[in-house]
Amino acid sequence: MLESLDFSALLKYREPLAWGLITTLWLTFAAFAMAIPGGLLLAFGRLRGGPLVNLPVMAFVDLMRFTPLLVQAVWIHFALPVLTGVSLSATQSGLLALTLHVSAYVCDIMRSGITAIPPGQWEAAKALGLPRRPTFFRVILPQVWPLILPALSNIAVSTFKLTAILGILAVDDLMKVTNRVNNIVFRPVEIYTAVALIYLACGLVLSSIAARIERRYGFVQTERPSAVIPKAQPAL
Amino acid sequence: MNLNFSIVWANLPALWEGVQITLVSFVIALVIGLPLGVALCGMRLRKTGFLAGTARVYVTVFRSIPEMVLIFWMFYCLPPLLGFRVSGLFSGSLALGLVTGAYLCEIFRGGVQSVAKGQWEAARALALPRSATWLRVIAPQAARLAIPPFVNFMTELLKGTTLLATIGVADLALKSYVLGAQTFRYFEFLTAIAIAYFIIIFPIARFAEHIERRLAKAAG
Repeated sequence: MLESLDFSALLKYREPLAWGLITTLWLTFAAFAMAIPGGLLLAFGRLRGGPLVNLPVMAFVDLMRFTPLLVQAVWIHFALPVLTGVSLSATQSGLLALTLHVSAYVCDIMRSGITAIPPGQWEAAKALGLPRRPTFFRVILPQVWPLILPALSNIAVSTFKLTAILGILAVDDLMKVTNRVNNIVFRPVEIYTAVALIYLACGLVLSSIAARIERRYGFVQTERPSAVIPKAQPAL
Repeated sequence: MNLNFSIVWANLPALWEGVQITLVSFVIALVIGLPLGVALCGMRLRKTGFLAGTARVYVTVFRSIPEMVLIFWMFYCLPPLLGFRVSGLFSGSLALGLVTGAYLCEIFRGGVQSVAKGQWEAARALALPRSATWLRVIAPQAARLAIPPFVNFMTELLKGTTLLATIGVADLALKSYVLGAQTFRYFEFLTAIAIAYFIIIFPIARFAEHIERRLAKAAG
């Protein structure tokens, strides 16, 4: 068995595979970077929007969290154009689906982070005559980040894992390229094992970076009232 | 734009078959993952040693690799390695089950570790045997704390079963996609199953939140 393994296909197709990896990393980064402001905006809508904004935002967030990303991606790519008349490229649809999906999770994290800040902080800012906007951006938000950092870093790793799903839309990420290469050379054991190891390595590097950021800027829970930030969901 | 949702009704039997396949893969994954999670949790709770190390590596690996990659790995690599054909439904569910084991291990471990230390000491002071300490004192309390994340993970697993569609398992997601392609009525079919998944998952997730709130209240 072992001597019949042939890894030459990996070497031969190293360039498309490398591009696939770059696409995967780029999608992870782009979706996560857009989901942070997106989630913050959604959290705003839920906390301060009033019923007219609150309800639709809540419906959107629940819809995004409680339906599979695969269904969302396919829906955005194939069904949404029927509604809007504009058809997006596979990468655009995939990135949009991933961003919206992750934003919904970020929204929930932000919301619990913001509500965990003691009301005294708002009151103190008000007593000092600080307008609402600087109060939020200068007083509240800086205190929210350290609280939600562990949950956010979990989400970052999840985003990376979720990109593999976008391959179904002919987004040429590492997963899709791997399938293509395997269809040409049909060496599944070598190719899929190698790619699984590449994903594992990237996942581990990402989580160790996240852990480092957490240690550096995270908040050591001691003096503040116990703020319960939901653990980020494992993303399947 | 003319939408015609009656086409979804007309194909309800085919979609129902898809729901059944989805549930079958969910159950297989759970049957594999549940005992695996318990075993891994037991291994990880020992602080040191070969078993604890193995469990830690297992959990890290299976939580870091995307499920999609594992599903494809199982689908393509299991048959040549085993020497016989395996259905996509089984290899896909097996991949999900192995991942489930890793996540459940951490959920159970979290539950056990949240049980107050005094409980162990009290059981010891009463000279309760180890097995009774576990079964009568620790496990009931740990289970209570582990229920909300456990139920939450069930919703994630349900969402995860859609990934089996990519290896040609005719679950709800693939069935509706194929029907959409055949009739060119993507919007109707895809919207219908998005709603179907939501209807299945939403109540479960709300149930988990409800228990969580109740536990928080009970804890004061």
